Amino acid sequence: MTQVTQEAAAASQPFVMDTVFWTATTIFVLAYAVIVSEKVHKTVVALFGAALMLVLKILEQKEAFHVEELGVDWNVIFLLIGMMTIINLMRPTGFFEYIAIKSAKAGKGDPMRIMTIFALVTAVLSALLDNVTTVLLLAPVTLLIADALEVDPVPFLIVEALASNIGGTATLIGDPPNIMIASKAKLDFMDFIYNLTPVVIVLMVVLLVVVKIVFGKKLKTREELKERIMQMNEKEAIKDPLMLKKSLFVLGLVLVGFVFHGTLHLQPATVALFGAGLLLLLSGTHDPHHYLAEVEWPTIFFFIGLFILVGGVVKVGLIKLMSLKMLDLTQGNLFATSMIVMWFSAIASAIVDNIPYVATMNPLIIDMAKQMWPQEAGLALLRHPDLMPVWWSLALGACLGGNGSPIGASANVIVVGMAERAGKKISFMRFVAYGFPIMLLTVFISMIYVWLRYYVLKF
Amino acid sequence: MKAKDIMEQVKDHLSPDDTIRDAVNKMRVVKRDDGIVGVKGMIVLDREGNLVGMVSVKDILKAIIPFYMTMTELGEFTWEGMLSEMTKKVADKKVEEIMVKDVITVPEDAPLMECADFIVKHNLQRVPVVDREKRVVGIIYVRDLYNAIVKVLLNDKEVENI
Repeated sequence: MTQVTQEAAAASQPFVMDTVFWTATTIFVLAYAVIVSEKVHKTVVALFGAALMLVLKILEQKEAFHVEELGVDWNVIFLLIGMMTIINLMRPTGFFEYIAIKSAKAGKGDPMRIMTIFALVTAVLSALLDNVTTVLLLAPVTLLIADALEVDPVPFLIVEALASNIGGTATLIGDPPNIMIASKAKLDFMDFIYNLTPVVIVLMVVLLVVVKIVFGKKLKTREELKERIMQMNEKEAIKDPLMLKKSLFVLGLVLVGFVFHGTLHLQPATVALFGAGLLLLLSGTHDPHHYLAEVEWPTIFFFIGLFILVGGVVKVGLIKLMSLKMLDLTQGNLFATSMIVMWFSAIASAIVDNIPYVATMNPLIIDMAKQMWPQEAGLALLRHPDLMPVWWSLALGACLGGNGSPIGASANVIVVGMAERAGKKISFMRFVAYGFPIMLLTVFISMIYVWLRYYVLKF
Repeated sequence: MKAKDIMEQVKDHLSPDDTIRDAVNKMRVVKRDDGIVGVKGMIVLDREGNLVGMVSVKDILKAIIPFYMTMTELGEFTWEGMLSEMTKKVADKKVEEIMVKDVITVPEDAPLMECADFIVKHNLQRVPVVDREKRVVGIIYVRDLYNAIVKVLLNDKEVENI
């Protein structure tokens, strides 16, 4: 047996509720509570909690840094860093402003049409890039368009956040929960396309119908204001045509890389890092500092801290204990497990950050699978056909749950902040009034989808 | 010579509760020491007369430009009449919301070099002069320092110990 598998085997030994168990559990629960309370920045909490796990020797540093089951998931970390670097290089070209202005013109200056097109563009971009970036790039243009048309920007911003969270659910790279699930469960990009994209397309159609019903009558503007939009020349947004070509080439290459990464046996992080390296090279920059500094390091370190925090409680057996409780609850019925995971994830993700939630659920589901199929190991265990719907339910619940409240997803936090700065405060309840029904509706449809596809039609 | 020897009198000030419209009006009608009407910046004093901020023409311009335009390059997509629309929107905003709060001041007995150094380092147009109790007793403008330099270069006997 190699050392790594030995350590992994040690991690799945029956646990004892000793001092170490209670220390690790206390650190974990306290860290979670402080993160939820938002009294201290979540990155600070996660890093300090992780450091405690190491200093108190609950987790050895080697385990935290080098053992896949217990420590930092570098696949997630470098996938995020790679994609963020590509976007940072792409941003100054003006590409995103170009897309936004072009979309507004395609809507012929009609607010309802613009809202629909913006929602679609947001969903597609969020599926391919991260949600926060997408919303951050589109929201300023949205505010400008709303001023030009003299309409309230708030419905536009909320719809964009909702579309971003729904669109992000569609792909492996669309939303952090998916990135984390893919890495743990060894799922590839096309698995997500086959299993999640179809239902996301349905959900987007539903969102657009609801938006049309809710806002269709209210959103009106005057003809002369539409002219303001039609007179904008989107080509003026492009600041660096050569760099834009290079960026689109690399982004295209990266997307092709994702589509084939399973076949090529390349990890998604490898594909993203290759893209980042290539685009840095092609840009001819002598000052990579700027592009690298703009990577959202607090988010990256939040992940690093969380992985170690969760690793600590995996090692002492807390997660295993929780998985046994879940098995008790579901009596090994996997359909019931899928449904519980989906709804619980949705509600939990509406209330707390879905990143720590998924970081905790991943090992829990793996532990549960180990109890159910003790004879299986490795890929055969992680990708057990009966386990797959549980992974999809986790992804759907955790991503779509983000729509339930203004703090449920980073994209929501951003639009609420932007609206406030624009002098249009979105109260907690106003967001909930739109977001929560959409969350219930989309999770309900996803539930029907999982039930029909994996338990009735079985394809 | 010291700061208090070249500073100008404080003719008027803003209060934090003034609106941008009030501020613009006060700045437009105030008379300077040299007789010219209108200033491009004013100190903000609270009810007790403490210095709490400063507002300049640039701060007012910044308040009028929507914040989303500073987030990205959108200048090409603005329209005729947008400036006046936005100006009307912020007309009733309070001075408190747009003023610069960390005001750099100089003591009344500061050497002129200290004043010049501050003005250049912090890219200021004017710097309030304060007494020991931190009360504003005057304002030094860039032009006052410049005038002092002009006198030296043109060999004015009076100002040799600047």
